[in-house]
Amino acid sequence: MAAETHGDSDDGMDEFMDKFKTQRYKNAFSEKNWEQEFNKIPMFMKTAPEEIDPKNYPELACLQSIIHDDDRSPEEQAKSLKDEGNAFFKEKNYKKAIISYTGALKKKCGDQELNAVLLTNRAASHFHLGNMRSALNDAAAAKKIKPGHLKALIRGAQCCIELRNFSEALQWCDEGLKEHTTDEKLRELRATADKHKRAAERDARKAKVKQKKLHGEKEALLTAIQNRGIKLLQSKKPHLKGSESEDESSAAMEQLRLDGLSSQEVTGAQVFQDEKGLLHWPVLFLYPEHQQSDFISAFCENDCFRDHLNVMFGEELPPWDTDRKYAPHNLQVLCIFFQYFYNGVNVLIADVCYLLTRWYLFNRFFVKAGTPSFIVLVKDSSFFKQFLSGKTIRDL
Amino acid sequence: MLSDGEAAELLSFLTLGTRPDVKAKATEYILGLSASREGCCFLRSKPDLVSALFALTSDISVAIAKDCYHIIINLSADETLHQVLVSDGKVLPVLLKKLLDPDYLFSDQICTILSNLTRHERTCKTVFKALQEDVGLAKLVDIFCTEGYNAKANLHYLGPLLSNLTQLPEARHTLMDRDRCVFQRLLPFTQYQASVIRRGGVVGTLRNCCFDHTNHLWLLSDAVDILPFLLLPLAGPEELTEEENEGLPVDLQYLPDDKKREADPDIRKMLLEALLLLTATRAGRKALRDKKVYPIAREFHLWEKDVHVSAACEKLVQVLIGDEPEPGMENLMEVEIPEDVEKKLKELDAQEQEELEKEEKRRSETRTACAK
Repeated sequence: MAAETHGDSDDGMDEFMDKFKTQRYKNAFSEKNWEQEFNKIPMFMKTAPEEIDPKNYPELACLQSIIHDDDRSPEEQAKSLKDEGNAFFKEKNYKKAIISYTGALKKKCGDQELNAVLLTNRAASHFHLGNMRSALNDAAAAKKIKPGHLKALIRGAQCCIELRNFSEALQWCDEGLKEHTTDEKLRELRATADKHKRAAERDARKAKVKQKKLHGEKEALLTAIQNRGIKLLQSKKPHLKGSESEDESSAAMEQLRLDGLSSQEVTGAQVFQDEKGLLHWPVLFLYPEHQQSDFISAFCENDCFRDHLNVMFGEELPPWDTDRKYAPHNLQVLCIFFQYFYNGVNVLIADVCYLLTRWYLFNRFFVKAGTPSFIVLVKDSSFFKQFLSGKTIRDL
Repeated sequence: MLSDGEAAELLSFLTLGTRPDVKAKATEYILGLSASREGCCFLRSKPDLVSALFALTSDISVAIAKDCYHIIINLSADETLHQVLVSDGKVLPVLLKKLLDPDYLFSDQICTILSNLTRHERTCKTVFKALQEDVGLAKLVDIFCTEGYNAKANLHYLGPLLSNLTQLPEARHTLMDRDRCVFQRLLPFTQYQASVIRRGGVVGTLRNCCFDHTNHLWLLSDAVDILPFLLLPLAGPEELTEEENEGLPVDLQYLPDDKKREADPDIRKMLLEALLLLTATRAGRKALRDKKVYPIAREFHLWEKDVHVSAACEKLVQVLIGDEPEPGMENLMEVEIPEDVEKKLKELDAQEQEELEKEEKRRSETRTACAK
């Protein structure tokens, strides 16, 4: 339509305005949707949409294609992508920033300064995402193409610190300080890295001392056990060779070194030696008659069985003792052992007044899984007789 | 000694263009001279001979250059020759520049010469000025602290050089630059086992730097953290109580049971002196007490056999466990000592020194008696 001049107006503005006097304006924003509509217009957008669908956002799509026009030089394209990345970075959208920077780097433009900045920025993005390794790699790459690039050096040092590689952090700092002798950030980072390094060295020394102490304690314990002539078996299948060989007892010692005298009980109790040099064992009392058991966490070797039985049965008999016969003075302690080259089962009986140490004297006394176990039966009861029938009995 | 004519003839032999065998003989002769006092005295009066020798250090023959350096080292050991050696304005800058060359064969010789020249204040000032004009103290420290900077020279004598330079307040000021990370790089070398020269030089430098009490807070802060580096060589394998251990600086905790103390008594003494200097201010005393310096000093004292070093340790301990001084006297370096008291103190010092020497003598006699 040709422009009509109407006095002061130009390009038909007056006419356009006059139209409103007669025609109703169509396609106006309604009260309900005006904010949404405004948000679609590129100039008034508060936030950009994640994906730009040309159908919904034709103007944005247009702008995008202008920015990323492949006809422009690699440097320009890379620069635009850098700006895009920086914008994402500002919004803390690090994942998207990385994509932009990577895209920019792919352009392989010859501007090394730009590439160093891209790598450093990508390193920063990775850093904020917690990808320390990737961040460090990018910082190193940036440093390679532009040695002395301050931001890359700082970032690299920070990554090393996060990765707890303090020696490397110090190297990055010193390299940086060579070029940028008065940089405060580098100085601070160096002091931090140095402090952490020395703390880590202290921790290593501490662990070593602790390990040595534990080892010493364990050695002392094993020696004490060995001195008493006690044989230890691990919870696995026992060796079928002869029992008193040096090899086996030292093998058992070795096993102890590995899995400790860990009992199969949930309590995790273990034999220990007190200040007077007495051993205290975790002990199992088994009551096969009623399929019950009792666990004593620390049975001093100088204690007699009666003391412990009194604790269990002295005051009140346990509920499973339906016949009420497990009074301490009625009880007898037994231990089953196997004699090789003989197919029978042997049983060793001991009186309740014996001390635990008496059992050490028995040269086939084994401790299985670090926990000596004893069977407790009522003397002369029918179960007792039944239990012992067919077995060879020996007195301790 | 040579006559003037003979000296002139000798000079004519000391040019780069002279026949090698003549040059060699001439330098050999002068080397012999430089080993004696009279010879040095003579050379002092012949500055042109000295200049010629400097020029010959660039000779292509390694043997000749080496001899010339040797001569200059001998000369520099004599203080009366210092002026002659540095009077030629070109000499120091050339020497200092050569230190920067990582391939230079004679860097160690240069370090020794400079170390000798800086022993006394006057020439030390000249050397420092020349240093700051071109190479700079920071660069020197950088070279010193870079492992394997020069494959052909170990540069250990840069240690004593730094120590000597820091007798000058301007050198200390430059070294203790808070905006840079120069001073901090020296600290780990208090533990450098491979060279007592280097180690001693560094400890001497640190001790000298402790003279300026205005820097104490900075030295004791995390930015520098000088304390562990001074204490570590003095700490031994003895176990301390749980409470004492917890308070120690991190580097002194859980030391292995084969920890050895510093072997050189002079270095031990300097470490203690540095610590004593740090007790000058109230803040310094507090820092040292908080970081459990006393238990370290206590165990050290039980171990130390040398009377002089023991005495230095006792002085430190006295300050650490003594009462705080009255208000107005908290900075021990700034207290005004009345003249008569000062005189008495000097007498007491002299007395103490005498007693220490007597004690030392007595101990060595007892030892020889026992050795029989």
